[in-house]
Amino acid sequence: MLETVIHLFPGIGSLFVQDPTIAFARIFLILFGFALAYFGFTRKLEPLIMVPMGIGMIAINSGVLFLQAGKIGTLFLDPLVEQPDVLVNIMQVNFLQPIYNLMFSNGLIACLVFFGIGAMSEIGFILARPWSCMIVAIFAEMGTFATLVIGAKMGLPINEAAAAAIIGGADGPMVLFGSLILAPKLFVPISIIAYLYLSLTYAGYPYFIKLLVPKKYRGIDVEVKIPEVSKKAKFVFTIVVCTLLCLLLPVAAPLMMCFFLGVAIKEAEIHPYQEFLENTILYSSTLFLGLLLGTLCEAQTLLNPKVGILLILGIIALAISAVGGLLGGWLVYLVTKNYNPVIGIAGVSCVPTTAKLAQYAAEEENPFAMILPLAMGANICGVIVSAIAIGVFVSTLFLVK
Amino acid sequence: MDVVKYAFFSYGLTAIISLVVMGIIVVISKSFGNSNEQKEI
Repeated sequence: MLETVIHLFPGIGSLFVQDPTIAFARIFLILFGFALAYFGFTRKLEPLIMVPMGIGMIAINSGVLFLQAGKIGTLFLDPLVEQPDVLVNIMQVNFLQPIYNLMFSNGLIACLVFFGIGAMSEIGFILARPWSCMIVAIFAEMGTFATLVIGAKMGLPINEAAAAAIIGGADGPMVLFGSLILAPKLFVPISIIAYLYLSLTYAGYPYFIKLLVPKKYRGIDVEVKIPEVSKKAKFVFTIVVCTLLCLLLPVAAPLMMCFFLGVAIKEAEIHPYQEFLENTILYSSTLFLGLLLGTLCEAQTLLNPKVGILLILGIIALAISAVGGLLGGWLVYLVTKNYNPVIGIAGVSCVPTTAKLAQYAAEEENPFAMILPLAMGANICGVIVSAIAIGVFVSTLFLVK
Repeated sequence: MDVVKYAFFSYGLTAIISLVVMGIIVVISKSFGNSNEQKEI
């Protein structure tokens, strides 16, 4: 009788035949997925990622069934398949497998997101206060390098510690891309943790701002003169910077090319392409990114013993980066006296979330404070510094004994 | 190189490359800005 019920409702029945740890982890992840989707709905977390991710997480842990030869699995995807013949067969069964293998595990989806971000970025914002933007972004990368040391001291091999440390750059596509190169076996949990925490920055970073920047400084309005630079100049330096970064850091070249091509299309005013990148490409790739991240949150994948360490390292990395960015903001304020230290948080390159958070924090104290252009400049510099950091890791990690 | 020294080294290298990139951006934007001004004159 019980066996009939188990086979009639395999989603529930499999909970009774699986290892109890996996069964409990599945139940936990179903509830967690619900929480993520709900907080996305209420805008406490970033809805663009969290709603598809939460629902994907619920579905992958609920829709478990008995497959051939008594195996337990799903019809979504299997990230652990490596043999080509098995992969070809499984692509005809699991509906998300082609998207995972042809878009996610090769970094294409990260590049597509970068296309869209590039097409939305106004590079002219950097020119308002170029050195301040870059100083703040360099300080906001502090979490990456501090976490590298902490990860290594916690016993991770140096390549895995570096892959986890990239979370400190707070750039989702960059983490996905970097972890794929540095620690391919851990890239699934690292990407999931990164996106999970990046969404939490939306809720957590305002507390860091309030803690490290007193009220009277948060409302400082900054006089900004954005120099008039012609479209031609912006187009030329977009190409020059892209060339330079590709020459210096070939490992980050695909991401750099996508980002700067997006910027170049915007500056060249190729409107059909710009609309296509900004709307169709960016939002469709973000939707599938969220959905894939959710469906990768299978209990079995996440019960890897290293996930615990990665969870700790991820939060440390983002916390140190936030503190670093705000320290950078203070440094620029103390030197120039015409700066709002809150802008420092925007050096953490979670585009455009941290820039918006900086503006909200300033607006809360002074409704006339307008720091968004400077914050966006710091944000874009943050993307550039994060890419440089990954390139430096990949090229020089062999130096560590 | 031990990991602490490496962290300082890689952070420094990242900062230097970032500042060089920014220097190039500033130089290009200024040179284009100047040429525009010259045209206006």
